Parts: sequence; structure tokens; C-alpha cells
Amino acid sequence: MNIKLNRREFVAKSVWGATASMSLPGFLQQTLFNLDAHAQSLPPEGDEGPIILLMELAGGNDTLNTLIPYTNGIYNGARPTIRLGEQHGILPLTDNDAPSVTGNDEVVALHPNLTAFNQLWLDGELGIINGVGYPNPNLSHFTSFDYWHSAEPNTIVKDGWVGRYLDNQCDGCGATTGIFMNRRPTLAFKSDQGLSPTVTFNSPDNFSWRDMPSVGREASLEQMYRKLIGLDHATDDGISATDDTLAYVQRAAHSAMISTASVRAALEASGDLLNPNWPDNNLANSLKTIAQLIKGRSETSIYYARQGGYDTHNNQILDVNPLTGRHFTLLETLNNSLGAFVDEMKAQGNWNRVVILTFSEFGRKVIQNGSRGTDHGAAETLFVMGGQVRGNEYYGLYPDLAADARVKRNSLDFNVDFRTVYRTLLQNWMGVPASAMPDIFPSQPANFDPLNFINSI
Amino acid sequence: MLDPLPQESWSRRHANHLLQRAGFGGSPEEQEAFFRLGDEQGVEAAVDSLLETTEDWSSLPWTDWALGDTDPNGDFFDPEGNLSTDNTNPNRRGQNIRRREVMLWYFSNLKQGQPLAGKLLKFFVDHFGIDSAAIGQYYRYIGLFRYFEMLRKHAAGNVAGVDAPFESDERLVPEGHYGNFRTMANHVSWSIAMVRTLDLYESTSSSINENFGRELLELFTFGLGTDFTDDDDEYTEEDVGAAAEAFTGRKIYGFRFPNNDQSAPRGLPPSSVWQNANLQDRSPKTFYGNTTMPGGGDVVDGDDIIELIFNSIRCAKHLSWKLWRYFASPNPSKALIEALALRFRDTHDYEIRPFLKDIFLSEEFYDDAIMNTQIKDAGDLLTSLEKQLDAPNLSQDAIEDVMQQLGYEILFPPSIAGWPEPDGEGNTWLATGAMVFRMNVPSIWSHRNFDVFTTARTRTSMAGYPDVDWDRIAPRDLRAIENFPLLIETLTKRFMPHRTLRKSQIRTLYERYSSIAEQLDSLEAVKELVRLLLALPEYQMQ
Repeated sequence: MNIKLNRREFVAKSVWGATASMSLPGFLQQTLFNLDAHAQSLPPEGDEGPIILLMELAGGNDTLNTLIPYTNGIYNGARPTIRLGEQHGILPLTDNDAPSVTGNDEVVALHPNLTAFNQLWLDGELGIINGVGYPNPNLSHFTSFDYWHSAEPNTIVKDGWVGRYLDNQCDGCGATTGIFMNRRPTLAFKSDQGLSPTVTFNSPDNFSWRDMPSVGREASLEQMYRKLIGLDHATDDGISATDDTLAYVQRAAHSAMISTASVRAALEASGDLLNPNWPDNNLANSLKTIAQLIKGRSETSIYYARQGGYDTHNNQILDVNPLTGRHFTLLETLNNSLGAFVDEMKAQGNWNRVVILTFSEFGRKVIQNGSRGTDHGAAETLFVMGGQVRGNEYYGLYPDLAADARVKRNSLDFNVDFRTVYRTLLQNWMGVPASAMPDIFPSQPANFDPLNFINSI
Repeated sequence: MLDPLPQESWSRRHANHLLQRAGFGGSPEEQEAFFRLGDEQGVEAAVDSLLETTEDWSSLPWTDWALGDTDPNGDFFDPEGNLSTDNTNPNRRGQNIRRREVMLWYFSNLKQGQPLAGKLLKFFVDHFGIDSAAIGQYYRYIGLFRYFEMLRKHAAGNVAGVDAPFESDERLVPEGHYGNFRTMANHVSWSIAMVRTLDLYESTSSSINENFGRELLELFTFGLGTDFTDDDDEYTEEDVGAAAEAFTGRKIYGFRFPNNDQSAPRGLPPSSVWQNANLQDRSPKTFYGNTTMPGGGDVVDGDDIIELIFNSIRCAKHLSWKLWRYFASPNPSKALIEALALRFRDTHDYEIRPFLKDIFLSEEFYDDAIMNTQIKDAGDLLTSLEKQLDAPNLSQDAIEDVMQQLGYEILFPPSIAGWPEPDGEGNTWLATGAMVFRMNVPSIWSHRNFDVFTTARTRTSMAGYPDVDWDRIAPRDLRAIENFPLLIETLTKRFMPHRTLRKSQIRTLYERYSSIAEQLDSLEAVKELVRLLLALPEYQMQ
């Protein structure tokens, strides 16, 4: 177990232990919860530990037009309208060609909008993982995301990989160890044991008690709730001793009180961000909140953000100009938002604590379709960035674009199983021992050796 | 096992338990009337009143755009020929709006239909989960209307004994009628939503896609092996393969690309499924130990596979367990599931309502460990809350907003396996953000606190939403501070019948009530009291 992950006091840890178990006698639960309520009033000690930011690109990012094999004849032939070349201001990674499955290095360039990515590459803080996927690729958004979230491809999924990681390694973490900036929860955070110490909210405005102060309401709504659910009560802990299911709901309410308080405390401690130049869009707003939580020394070690819209079946480009259209705009938003986040992390002095991983449920087909778009594919390219990333380097091999190398109707074949990327993050970055991997990843790929894309903190 | 509840055991608590689980609860007046019905005319009369299939199927029509038989492709429904792409065109029906209209239709069904039908619809939508993103994107939500309507008819039961045909594809589906689980499984296999979701439309005799065949067994019928079915034969990968072969050649009549459908019969309604015989594998198969059908003949097509599955006790057990878990509790005894399975398959031939009657009459259903111990799922929460407050549907924008925040987007189950069961540990109903929202949501009704919505669009859409009739919820003569004990009794009877609040909670509520009543006014105090009551963890139980 990585001690850096768990820096909270024993009392707080015990609370989560109690939450996961329904069989503690009532008096003991009450003591623990009162202790925890007390712990909440201690000044936040913050955390110096490693942080993961999972950056989900939903809809299936066309990574062939993100990391572009612009000299490849097959690429250019398969995408007569939407291909990107030097005339479009692509950003060639001239210092370093990408090793390929074919044995001949692939000459590649970043999409012209990925200027921040390019700078990180030049600075040695961006690694590129090519050919990422899983066996028997599923081309449904729904199912493929299930697989990416559960890290159990080709099964009926039950829980998420982050959820299992926290079950396994985080007995006693604070209530906000994982934060997903979204409305809908992610399967990735789902635990199969008790309440996962994770929270999902789309904006801090929605993750609070909608108090309406007035005459007669001198006590805050939060104080009222705390009393009613037994969180502050001297003799009544509010947890049913006779009904396990009710006790579970009551603990969920305790967790809600505790996690809203800790998010608010971190946001208040944060104050203004140091980077004054943030774009104004949903993704940037999510990343801003995350940056504030980090600055405010939240106990959180896994952040999760999401950008939708990558399902570019049509109008991936507008008219005949590949420097227009949905994919162009999406990558612009991604680049500018992540770029601002990186600048902020550097200004905060937290860049060495953060690693960002971009991923999508699948890549797209090699061949463009009849609507100036591309259809669902299989293997994709992931980007990993951070102060401790071994950047300016490729991991995995660029897939073979040739027709007879494709799987599932013109999709790229994978050579790096995405589970090894997750494993690398947990083992090399979060410090999870290799012995824990069978529990966190019940189904493992044939080659499950960690990659070498990151140093430990 | 499954003996009827003795008449002398019938109590108000039993009556409320049944009302809440077989429907969405009732007002204090309905609670009392229901208790009296069972008391005076017998428990069976009370149960029968819940099972009556009197609903008119046409009572909740689809929206106009979904009723047309012309190609619904595109974002515009234009009965008046207004094709302007301007946002102000009232005929504009982009995907988002269509999606919300489906959702409103769904919740209208939960609230306005027969309560048991609503409850069953909610179960079926979860049991037969679909990927509505694909259906919505390609079939403009008409496929969803068709699908939900089909499930709703099964939920409504065999109205007046009429064997209604499955409207979309009645040419193809074997005889059967609504309200029968086996027939429903067959209808599902012929519905555009499922054919698209599980890739049946791509599965042909020369290129098999196993997706549907696998889920049919794993999720919809046999279930993954559990303790309840460990005495029964496991199905094999070969069985999955045989099922997949049997369901080949089912194609979608593609209004989107009609030129691809030259071989389809003419005159099909939009989003129909049809059988392309040339792409179907009709070779004899071996399935789950059967090489012939019980009535003779080879095992050939999907209809045969479904018949064989439903002949097995394993299927009966799995479905009995899922229904028991939904209506009663997550942990029945193995013996109970065995008894239920025999009733479901042998006594009732998978007729759902007669089977549920056995459940609702049984002693086991009224066990102390079952009554009042279920967490309301998001549909239960919203529907029973509005019923208790006698409040109308939220706007369609607000319904979507609320469901998203509760983690229960009816059109977007988290996976094909549906939502996690709301029965305890690890379920996403109570993800922390959702729990915060459960505690905040009552203030929509108590204080018209539209700040709990996430978008300005939603807030605007709620501007005309009517206020709660507070005189009915909390009669004025109960509002004096000295009447607080009576007031709290009245309110808990409405919102949490048979739940006793703890002394510390009553004291806290009293302090708040008297503080606001004295300094502001008693109506404000009532609103605050209702808000706090409905935010309690205890309120999440049914």
C-alpha cells in the first residue's frame, strides 16, 4: 500500500472501514463517526502524493487525424478528403519517428491545433502510446466504454477499475479520493464493496446544500442535516442497528455531508488560480475546478474529466477544408483547456505530482466514409503527460495501416492492451505493489508487463 | 411455502407495503381505502384490485412526430411544411428534444397508468436494457417509442383477454399475448431497439455476431450462474453459438438508407424489423441438450431457441429471482425461488400477473425483514414523491435534469445489464453526488428552489409549475406550534407511513419548526418541515 495515498488520520480511515462493513456494533460506529466529524474540523493537511487525471474523450477519437501518419500512402489514399498534410500546418514530430508494427518507422505529426501537446513533447513531458486496444474489439460506444471502464473486456462488467483499486488499496481513504467532474457517475469508479470513496458532480455549485437563509433559519441547512442524520449528535449516531439497508443509506448521507464539506474546504483554501488565461468551455471549467481542488490541497488522488462529441461519423470536416469541422474544434478545445491546466499546475508547483492520460472508447476506421467522417474503429493512440512522464518517447507501436492488417472491417489492430497502461499508472505512479494486480485486474492480458512511461514521484 | 397471508394478519402496514411495492404508494386516503378493502372483502380482493388490467393502451399517445408513417429522418417534424432550420421553428425536433419527449412519456406512464403497469414497465426497461444512444442517433427515437410501447403493453397485461398482435412485426412473431414473459422475450428479439443494440442486424448465416445470442442467455433468460441455479445445467459456449446462428438475418428496414433495402418487403412502417430469409441460418441445431423441439421437428430459428429456454427450470428460476428481488427483497431462500419458479413456469406458463398474484398473496412477501427495507430507486423516488405531494409531472427538461443528477437516465442505462440493483452495497443510486441531490431535490416542491437544476434552460422550463396545495398536505388547524405532534404524525403518515422517527430527529425538527413559525410564519415552517423530512435517509426507504 502506498502510504502517500493515505495521509489522513487514523480516525478518518476507520470511518471508511466502518462504512464498508455493516456489522459493527452501534456504539462503535457512533464513536467513529463522531471522531470523523471532529476530523473534518481539523485544518486540511493537504497531500503531497501523486495525482492521476483521467481525460476521457467520449465518442471515439479519430487518432489517425490526431497523430497523423502524413507520409503514409495508405493513410492518404484512404482519406482523400479529410487527410491532413504539411500544407495544413500539422506539427511534425521531426525529432523522432514512431516505431511501427511494420518494422519501418512511421513519420508522424500532431494535429495543427495540438500546440500545447507539441510543446510538452518538445519539453520531454509528453509520451505517446500507439496501438492501444484490446482483443475482440467491440465497436459499440456503450460496450466498449464498459470495457475501458471495467478493464474487463469481453465480459459482463460489474465494477470499475478505479473502484477495485480503491477497494483494494484505499481502505480508509477520505470521502473524496476520486472525483469525476460529470453529472452521470462513471462505471470506472464503481466499487463492489460498500460506498466507493469517490464523488461525481458536474459543478461545485451543484455539490452543495441549497441553503436559503432567512429569519428563523439561523442554523444553516448543513447544520440541520448533520443533526438529523446523527453526524454531530452526542448520543445518537443515526445509524440503524437493526436494518442493514437503512444503515447503508444513513452512511451514504454521512458520506454526502463529509464529502461536500471537504470539497468546499478545498475550494475555499484554494483562492484564485494562478493562470489567468483559461478558455471558457465546459471542459475548461471542469479542469479549473480540478485545479482549484489541487491548489486547495484536496485529499483527492484520482481526478476524472470528460469531453464528449468525438463520434465524428459526419462533418468531421466541413466542405473540403480539413481545418474546419467538429474534430478540428474538439481538438482545439482539448488543447487549449489542457494547456491552461498544465500551465496552472506548473505555476502551482504541482506539475511533478500530476499525470494526465487521454483515452477514448475506440479509435476510428482507416477509411473515411461517405459523409466526410469516419466510422467506429478499434485501436487508438493515447497521450500521457506530466512532469514525471518520460516524454518525447513512444510506447507501443504504430499499427499497420495495410488492408490485410486491419481487424473488424478496416479498424486498426492493437499491440498494447489498455490494461497495461492502467497497471503502469497504478504500479509505477501510485506505488501499488505488483501483488495487488490480480485483485484489481481479475482478467489480465497475455502481456501485462508495465510500460516505462513514467518515473515514480 | 407461498401459503397465502392469513386474513387476520392483514394490517395497515401490510396494506401500505403492498401499495408501495406493487405501485408507488398512495395518499393517506388511498392507504386507508386500500386497507379497508382488504379488511372487509379479503386480502385477495385487495390484491386483485391492483392486478386488474383495465388500462386503455391508447391513453398515452406518442408525440406527433413519432406517429407519422413517413421517414422521420432529420431534426424536423413539419406538419405545416415549415422547414426553416431556424431555432425558432416550433417544429424543430432535434435529438435532445426528442429524447426528453420520450422520457416525459415514460414518466407519464409511471404516474398515470395503472400503478402495477408502471412498476412493471420500469422493471422491463431495466431487464431488457438497450443502447439508446444508437437508437436515438440512427432512428430518431421512434425506435425507442416502439420499444418502450411494446414493453408497456406487456406491463399493462392482457387487457380484456385480447390477444393483441405485436404491431411492428406481427407477420413474424409466433402467437402469444401481452403480459407473458416468453412472448415478451420474443417481441424484444424482433424489436428494432434490441436488434440494433446487440448487433442482430449485422448477424447473418455467413457472418455470425454472437452479441445477442450471448446476452439473451446471460442476461435476459438463463442468467449467469447463481446459488439459485447451481443445481441446473450450465449452458455452454456451444449453446451461445447455436442461439447466435438461430437469430440470423433479422434486418432493420432502413429508412435512413432505403436504397440499401431493395430486398425488403414494400410498405413496412419506419423502423421495422424484417427477416431476410437468404441471410438466415436454418440448419438443424443442438441447444441446451435438445436436438429436437418438444413437439417434434428440428431446432431451427430464434423462436425455437426461446421456446427451449423457457421450457427450462433455470430460466424460470432466474426470472423468478429477478422479479422477487425487484418487488420484495434481494436475498430469498433457495427453496423459495424453486417454489416460485415452478409456479411461474408450470402453473402460470409465464403469465406475469397471475404469478405476481401468488407473490402478493404470499406470507413470505410480508416478512418483517422485507417490509420497509428497500431503497427507492430513482423512478420510485420521483414518482412516489409527486404522488404524495399530489404534484404534476415536472417539465420534460426538469425530468431529464433530475434523473441525470440521480444517476438514473432512463434512456441511458450504465450498461446492457441495466442499472445496479438498489438493494445495498455498491449500487450507483447512492453515489455521493446522487445522495446530495436526493437530499436537495425535495426543495423543488417545498420551496420552488429551482437552483437545484443544472441549467438555465431547465429553470426556465419550470416557471409555470404549480405550487403544492399546502392546505391539503398540512391543514391549517394543525399548524399551531402546540399541535406539532399531530402535524408531524400527519406528515409522516403521508410521506413515511409506519416509520418511527428517532427522538433526536423529532426534537431537531420541532426546534426548526417553532423557530420559523414564531419568527416568520407557519406556512414557511411547514414547507421547511416537509423539506427536512423528505431529505432524511429514512425517506429513501420503502
